[in-house]
Amino acid sequence: MTAPSATDPLRAALPPDRERRAEGYAIDGVRPAAAFRPASREEVAALLAAATGAGLVVVPQGGRSALTLGRPLQHYDVALDLGGLDRVVHYEPNDLTLTVEAGLTLERLQPRLAERGQYLSVDPPPHDGVTVGGLLATARPGAWRGHLPDARDLVLGVHVAQADGTLARSGGRVVKNVSGYDLHRLHTGALGAYGVIVEASFKLAPLPEATSAAAVRCTQIAQAEAIALDLWRQALAARAITLLGEAAAAAAGLPRAAHVLCEFAGVRAAVERSVEALRSAAANAHAPAAGAVDAEPWRRLRALAAERADGGTEEEMVLRLGVPATALRQSMEAAEQRGYAAWGHVAAGSVLVHGTASAAAAGELRALAAGYGGFLQVEAGPAWLRASVDPFGLGERELVRSLKAQFDPTGTINRGRWMEDV
Amino acid sequence: MLTNALATVVRELQSALGKRHVLWAPEDMLGYEYDATIDRARPDAVAFPANAEEVAAVVRITRRHDVPVVPRGSGTGLAGGALAARGGVLCVLTRMNRILELDPANRVAVVEPGVINLALQDAAAAHGLLYAPDPSSQRICTLGGNIATNAGGPHTLAHGSTVNHVLGLEVVLPDGRITWLGGRQLDAPGPDLRGLFVGSEGTLGIVTKICVRLVPVQAAVRTMLADFESVEAASEAVSAVIRRGVIPVALEMMDHEIIAAVEHVLHIGYPLDAGAVLLIEVEGLRESVEADAAQVVAACREQGAREVRVAESEAERARLWEGRKAGIGAIGTVTPNFYLLDGVVPRTRLPEVMRGVAELTARYGFRVANIFHAGDGNLHPNIMFDELQPGATAKVLELGGEIMRLCVDAGGSITGEHGVGQEKRSYMEWIFGPEDLRAMERVRLGFGASELFNPCKILPTGHGCGQAHAADARRHLATPGVYL
Repeated sequence: MTAPSATDPLRAALPPDRERRAEGYAIDGVRPAAAFRPASREEVAALLAAATGAGLVVVPQGGRSALTLGRPLQHYDVALDLGGLDRVVHYEPNDLTLTVEAGLTLERLQPRLAERGQYLSVDPPPHDGVTVGGLLATARPGAWRGHLPDARDLVLGVHVAQADGTLARSGGRVVKNVSGYDLHRLHTGALGAYGVIVEASFKLAPLPEATSAAAVRCTQIAQAEAIALDLWRQALAARAITLLGEAAAAAAGLPRAAHVLCEFAGVRAAVERSVEALRSAAANAHAPAAGAVDAEPWRRLRALAAERADGGTEEEMVLRLGVPATALRQSMEAAEQRGYAAWGHVAAGSVLVHGTASAAAAGELRALAAGYGGFLQVEAGPAWLRASVDPFGLGERELVRSLKAQFDPTGTINRGRWMEDV
Repeated sequence: MLTNALATVVRELQSALGKRHVLWAPEDMLGYEYDATIDRARPDAVAFPANAEEVAAVVRITRRHDVPVVPRGSGTGLAGGALAARGGVLCVLTRMNRILELDPANRVAVVEPGVINLALQDAAAAHGLLYAPDPSSQRICTLGGNIATNAGGPHTLAHGSTVNHVLGLEVVLPDGRITWLGGRQLDAPGPDLRGLFVGSEGTLGIVTKICVRLVPVQAAVRTMLADFESVEAASEAVSAVIRRGVIPVALEMMDHEIIAAVEHVLHIGYPLDAGAVLLIEVEGLRESVEADAAQVVAACREQGAREVRVAESEAERARLWEGRKAGIGAIGTVTPNFYLLDGVVPRTRLPEVMRGVAELTARYGFRVANIFHAGDGNLHPNIMFDELQPGATAKVLELGGEIMRLCVDAGGSITGEHGVGQEKRSYMEWIFGPEDLRAMERVRLGFGASELFNPCKILPTGHGCGQAHAADARRHLATPGVYL
């Protein structure tokens, strides 16, 4: 733990009322030496400059819902709470574009957009308490991914506070733009490695006229797969087609059996036809008729897909596999055989696995995913697991490292979260 | 005449690629000194590698001898991105033109960079699938070039640009190392190096394999032609459509100059007395297409459309698009030269910006023809002129700069889909500050790109680019046949 005086340069760099009690900012049980909640992007930049000067490690955080994504921190001196940056900077409903500060949460943003019949078409785990900055920095897909463009597709530009205390931006507010390098894409999924996102611009979508969700209870996962792939191949108003194993169904509040869970969204006639198509697909696969469901199973699955802080225990893990749609079932079965709850989003090609933390199981499932040309990421888990299993399994490590050396040579931001000293 | 260093480079390239796959005779270089824009720069040698290992060999040989290397596909770029600004070796990827894999069940294809955009479209269509990005040069442009520029096209409005359809890339980095960015699945872990690389205009590496996502061909489509008194009225209608929450798959504008030129050549049946027409296409599920088409018609009528014609058959639809696709070429039949610009503005600002474009071109004494992706706010004014008139070229370039300034002042950008390349480097400072540009420089350094790796592109600074600046002043302007 850093001596209290080491953080004095940060206090000097910010107005006095920006400091917060460090107790509320523990990660993996480790408390930082100090915590600050700046009120502007300039203050974020000033804090980073002071931290870099003092050789301190800063951990940016918004909704605090992805803090166990990545390797356990070796150093944690300063918590940077971005909740103070929560303004809507520019909203142009007639252009379907939006610019917001990074600390604004989706649960506060979406109702404002809904007033104009619009939304940001994302459903990230674990819930809409995710901030816009966190949404981009973690870039974790939800059930809508593949049916709708995701945050990484919708981002038009960002402003970033860099480790040396400078502010830089890329992209813009227009919906089509190829001027210069798309640094907003580099920062997407980077967990702040190259700078702290302080503002972002997005393309928006019109809210669908109607939505409807339904579940089909199946005798086995193969039956659920047949229905899901059948639906995916049809021209329907699907916003999510999810396969659930028995344990995952139970966790989602459904009967303990394999299920297909579908959400349809669009014009009313199309949604109604899609629900009919689901009924026919179920009948063709000799499954019972689809039953309408509300949003509750989705809410539970989202929450389960990310963060132990939301009610999980210390010894649980969440894994995300990226595999081809046609390998979804085999991947889920492999996880279930090992005693895990598993569910998969067909269009995203993603399988989520939840259960008791095990380095061996994570390693085996990573090998399985690799066999399909895919990947495995540890989404959440205890520190010991994230220390013994590389949470990311990056194919290209050298560029991640050499870019870090350019943007944050002293490792001020989130040092060690990607790999040792990066 | 080759210097000693270059002669050595050519010998080494010949031994790595085979003698017939390296050109260096001065007369052979003439075909490689241009792309589809107005600059010229002659390479010293041209290499045609057949695979990633050979591309890596080209990169390593040029690096070892401190010779510039520049990647190139079909040469249809519109920003000078594939020009050998400081000479050296052009690495042409057109031999790498195989579709390596097409997996319809998982909607994924893996291709080499020299594959023509339309060839992939055709291969995908055989399975009821679509590779969505469709630049107007799709009959000739390569997918490697599409990656470099993050190419768009008329259907970008609904489907997104190239970056939204690329899953992973095999690339040769500036030090000759071969690696993958992204992969075969969506949302691979890590900083989005795949997304950063797409649109980097061949300055961070050379792509050797591309894994793309295919989408199903939509169930229904409706194509409309709306006829307006003026460009301004048509621009207002663009906003009106978007405001109603309808995202057409394409929303294209053609002004009276384009209509006249197209009708002169093709007789599509566009209204000759219109100030502008909008070609609007909606697609999707059959229920939503009907609803969207009704909204489009209502929005156009509300903005004073004289007529909204709905294509009644596939043949009529194809005919309407034929005129749009031939539009740029048709300009060449009514003017000795034209300068094609690429700017982008927020859609709500289109009416005032289009008014500004008209006023500026009139003040400079030129005629302008507008044909562009209005739904994205992506302008393409074509300034018509005659380069034989003394001083005309310089005046056109100055006007081009003023129009770009108009876009920037409206909250827009200096390029929507063609790229910065060599042509627009000097405009970068209009939209980015020193720290923004410094961050871009850091990306280049992080990728290990020396100043000889596709030099004098994107960033406004660079040693040894003075020659390119000098060339700016005396460049020849476009001949007919420019692609968009």
